[in-house]
Amino acid sequence: MMCADMEVQLNEYVDGTLRVAQRATVDAHLAGCAGCRAAVAELRALVAGAAALPKSIEPGRDLWAPIDARIVQGATRNVQRPFWRGALAAAATLVIGFAIYRLLPPSTVHDHPEGTGWVAVQAEYEQAADELTRALAFEHDRLAPATVALIERNLAIIDAAIRESRDALARDPGNVELRGLFAAASRHKVELLRWATRAAT
Amino acid sequence: MQADPSDLIERAQRGDPAAFEALYRAHVGRVYALCLRLTADAARAEEFTQDAFVRAWERLASFRGESAFSSWLYRLTVNVVFLGQRASRRRGLRVFTTDDPAALERPRDGPGVPGAQLDLERAVAALPPGAREVFVLHDVEGYRHQEIAELTGIAVGTSKAQLFRARRLLREALSR
Repeated sequence: MMCADMEVQLNEYVDGTLRVAQRATVDAHLAGCAGCRAAVAELRALVAGAAALPKSIEPGRDLWAPIDARIVQGATRNVQRPFWRGALAAAATLVIGFAIYRLLPPSTVHDHPEGTGWVAVQAEYEQAADELTRALAFEHDRLAPATVALIERNLAIIDAAIRESRDALARDPGNVELRGLFAAASRHKVELLRWATRAAT
Repeated sequence: MQADPSDLIERAQRGDPAAFEALYRAHVGRVYALCLRLTADAARAEEFTQDAFVRAWERLASFRGESAFSSWLYRLTVNVVFLGQRASRRRGLRVFTTDDPAALERPRDGPGVPGAQLDLERAVAALPPGAREVFVLHDVEGYRHQEIAELTGIAVGTSKAQLFRARRLLREALSR
């Protein structure tokens, strides 16, 4: 039985990652401890066994056909890229539209969430944006660099709007119009991320 | 693993599916083994193997030959598996449910596979996911803790702790 406080040192000893002085200390301990000597022998056998496992295992079926189909599908999608350029223009329009929207007087804003559940609304937008951002981070290299750059530029504009409205709300938490602005900016962010994620996948 | 003829890689980079199929044939066993050991689930391993090769095809242009093609492909595979596992966990899907994976039964039936190896494969498959992943990457695949930390997003200390835990659990399982 290995000494309870020796697990880390014995593992490091077997891995050869101890410094000379530490190694000497473990050597001295091993000289007088049969349990730890046995544990070192087991660890060495385990590490050697793991390294000797076959590096290659053939799958139960040939996977090339579905891979080939997806590759061909991807090539078709690339040919259709001009379509996405159109969608990009739409995304840019969306952001410009939002900028105009911000300039409108509050009376023309139709979609402000009311006070009830405001914290939940904020949390919901933030969670949706976070999830989409992570999904996009996973897939974004499927997009052309120019597309990614445009998305990032637009996100920066929207994030700035979110920051501004959040700062204003911190000073005036009950202001329904500010909440409307925050909600609109957040919604635009979610819409843009949703579009980008769809485009990437 | 033999070196890939560079003209095969160049042809695949220029969009030649036949060249890419040859690369697939040369590496599928290694990629699938990695996916199978990381997931302990044959169906998921097949999915991730497909995802890894599709992703490799899409990213071939970014392979510039600084490392061996095989190293590039296996790192990409680890990435695909980890991102896929995380996405599944977020969606609440099953990602790990086996203490006796059918896929790992197959080597027992093959000639020349020692029983001790199969016992080890089964014990590894039964480890908790975090411990299993680090054990496979470190002790089976030979990655260093720093590389594992970079690939998986965990701290180096966590990688070590998971490895030592995996070894402890394996020693217990194999001594029964």
